[in-house]
Amino acid sequence: MPHRWGMAVDLDRCTGCGACVTACHAENNIQTVGDREAARGRAMHWIRVERYWEGEFPDVRVKFRPVMCQQCDAAPCEPVCPTYASHHNEEGLNAQVYNRCIGTRYCANACPYNVRFFDFFNPKWDKPLQMQLNPDVSIREVGVMEKCTFCVQRIHAAEIQADAEKRPLKDGEIKPACAQACAPNAIVFGDLNDPESEVSRLSRSPRGSKLLDDLGTLPKVTYLSRQEV
Amino acid sequence: MAVYALFPTPDAAQRAVNKLRSSGVANRDIVVISSEPYEEYEFSHRDKHTWMFWIAGAGGVLGFLFGTFLTSFTERAWPIPTGGMPIVAWWPNIVVMFELTFLGAILSAVATLVVSAGLGRRRPNLYDPEVIDGQILVGVPRSSVSADIVKRALAAIEGARLKTI
Amino acid sequence: MSEPRHERMTSDLLRPLERTSWRFYTLVIVLGAIVATGLGTWAYQMYNGFGVSGITWPIFWAFYITNFVFWIGISHAGTLISAILRLVNARWRRPVTRCAEVITAFALMIGAMFPIIHLGRPWLFFWLLPYPSSRRIWPNFRSPLVWDFFAISTYLTGSVLFLFLPMIPDFALVRDRSTGFRRKAYGVLALGWSGTTRQWHRLESAMQIMAIAIIPVAVSVHTIVSFDFSMAPVPMWHSTIFGPYFVAGAIFSGIAALIIAMAALRKFLHLEAYLHTLHFENLGKLLLMMSLLWGYFVFAERLTTWYGNEASEMAVLNVTQRGSFAPLYWTMVVCNFIVPLSILSFKRLRTIAGCVTASFGVLIGMWLERFLIVVPSLGHKYLPNSWGQYRPRPVEILITIATFAAMSLLYVLFSKFVPIISIWELKVGEHPVHEASPAPNRRPEPLFQSEP
Repeated sequence: MPHRWGMAVDLDRCTGCGACVTACHAENNIQTVGDREAARGRAMHWIRVERYWEGEFPDVRVKFRPVMCQQCDAAPCEPVCPTYASHHNEEGLNAQVYNRCIGTRYCANACPYNVRFFDFFNPKWDKPLQMQLNPDVSIREVGVMEKCTFCVQRIHAAEIQADAEKRPLKDGEIKPACAQACAPNAIVFGDLNDPESEVSRLSRSPRGSKLLDDLGTLPKVTYLSRQEV
Repeated sequence: MAVYALFPTPDAAQRAVNKLRSSGVANRDIVVISSEPYEEYEFSHRDKHTWMFWIAGAGGVLGFLFGTFLTSFTERAWPIPTGGMPIVAWWPNIVVMFELTFLGAILSAVATLVVSAGLGRRRPNLYDPEVIDGQILVGVPRSSVSADIVKRALAAIEGARLKTI
Repeated sequence: MSEPRHERMTSDLLRPLERTSWRFYTLVIVLGAIVATGLGTWAYQMYNGFGVSGITWPIFWAFYITNFVFWIGISHAGTLISAILRLVNARWRRPVTRCAEVITAFALMIGAMFPIIHLGRPWLFFWLLPYPSSRRIWPNFRSPLVWDFFAISTYLTGSVLFLFLPMIPDFALVRDRSTGFRRKAYGVLALGWSGTTRQWHRLESAMQIMAIAIIPVAVSVHTIVSFDFSMAPVPMWHSTIFGPYFVAGAIFSGIAALIIAMAALRKFLHLEAYLHTLHFENLGKLLLMMSLLWGYFVFAERLTTWYGNEASEMAVLNVTQRGSFAPLYWTMVVCNFIVPLSILSFKRLRTIAGCVTASFGVLIGMWLERFLIVVPSLGHKYLPNSWGQYRPRPVEILITIATFAAMSLLYVLFSKFVPIISIWELKVGEHPVHEASPAPNRRPEPLFQSEP
């Protein structure tokens, strides 16, 4: 049975600490664009924590929602890419092939979640910060699109290891950087094709909902939150 | 030796063509050259029959078939799923097929024009630069009828200026 | 026919080719400098990275795509005037067809540059061509951008051929009046044309086929350009009206560009005897009709959106009509609708100057319309947390200005080397009327008007 990777994010556990964002940057060699470019709105947070305020002072409540690529099964970003750089792979992930991307940015416009990012400049790391780069992840040059891959390098590494050891993958063996860094374990990753996995169980929860699911994108991230009556 | 005459008006040219025909020159041996088309006159209707419209239609069909082949073959050659759409997606393919149909029609019409009008050939067989001043050239490049008969026929129309090459 | 008139016509229309004034050189140098600046700016953008533009997350398309749609829209002028009027045998079209077809060809060339300029890696644009590559991958035919490639290539090929074919007899004319190098050069372009009845017939048949074929292509081109927007799930993009709306807008802006080009030619090349007020009157009426049609489409789209009351679409509607884009939006309405209607509805105001004023307004309004379709929707998609602002930067503004200069430069150069009014077609227009249902005593339309 092929894998079908999905995620469940528990909004009632999320504290908005942002460790997932930092971990993602570190794991995936995302460029830090600098303060001027960030002020222009060009920060590239493959996972971002959206913050919502509710109510009037002193009864203010804050809600957090980490948003990353939803790896939609009917992804609107895929048919519009002229070079097949954005396509669907056999494990249900929306794959972005940097080498095929010519930077039309159509995929980013089509994405209703705004989770796709464009490399406006060539990345630069002042020495010795380049030593921290992850050798398993390629550096993207100027002009290509990038986005959350569910840490596909970790998925592949675990699959190769399990293959070598001639055993199936265990649930919880693969942890993307955001899931690994999350202290309250709000982010859960796993195989949706395995009905016993934790992510499958959570996606069936009555607290579960999908982001913008009325658009028909069939996202694979389930958000869990206490439904207020 | 080619014989021709220049006429100042298309009426004179028409009379010259009629005279040449009655002198025994075959219709297809008569050449009429002008700086503008005279669709109202019979001498323009001699070459009317053309396959161009059919060829353009055939070109369109070829373009359509090529478009169908290009899209469905390449989509099947390395099937890459995108957005939950089928591998051979006919709705988008129709767009490309439509464009290539018309491209085929246009290119075959132009190709037919180039070939049948003899464009691109180094040297036209029969020509006189006075044509651009509004004169109409009626001539016989080569024919089974003798040159004298042709000359006499052309000279019979008033306003003719006879020349030979 | 009337030889002195034909002589006068030929010498009038060939005068720009035969005589050059200092004004021509000045114009070419100034426009050339602006175009060179634009090219340099593009090189600067390619070298330093796309970040030098104003594009940002989430507004990933802005000025360049606006310009792309705008110029492709302008290119519909030629098809409408040349092809459609040719097919319905409108006699007043004869001096206007080549002016219009030139606009089409050059506007398409300029418009087709923009999909390359706006790429993140423009040196790889050829990956949109379907060729058997060593990577064994083909373009994605499901993508509207690939449709754009096919549509624009077909339309460009068709338009260039449609422009070139009736130029052949005029090239032969210039060839026979020239000597030396000019004679050889125009001889090559004339493809050995002599003017036999057979050649005339084939040429007219080919023109007929092209006129019939180019109209569906033109309609499909701007529909496919509109599909770039309507195929994406973006609020106020995903609308079924976009196809016809864009085609109507394209014809609208095309006629405006044509009126301006014709007025400029009439003034600078002293073509008052050939481009009459009647031509401007007729084009002015067409412009009025297109303005009403444009207003109709905008109203239909906005009313449907307003009734639908869907939160994301209403956000975009409000930001254009009442929010930060309101000044641009209402300027667009005034330029596209109120000004043309006020000027062109009244015969007394439908003079050449009136038509040109309305046309300038329409060009500004249509550029704003493209901008207001692209940017507000991208800045206000479904998740308000990721809404954004766009501000153009010098790179984009310079390149935009350079394209207007490029269009003018190409037009000026063309009118220097090719007669801008088709001489043989004009001569044919003087023949006695010989239509399918001829009116008995119809006088052919005079080519000259004694008053300017």
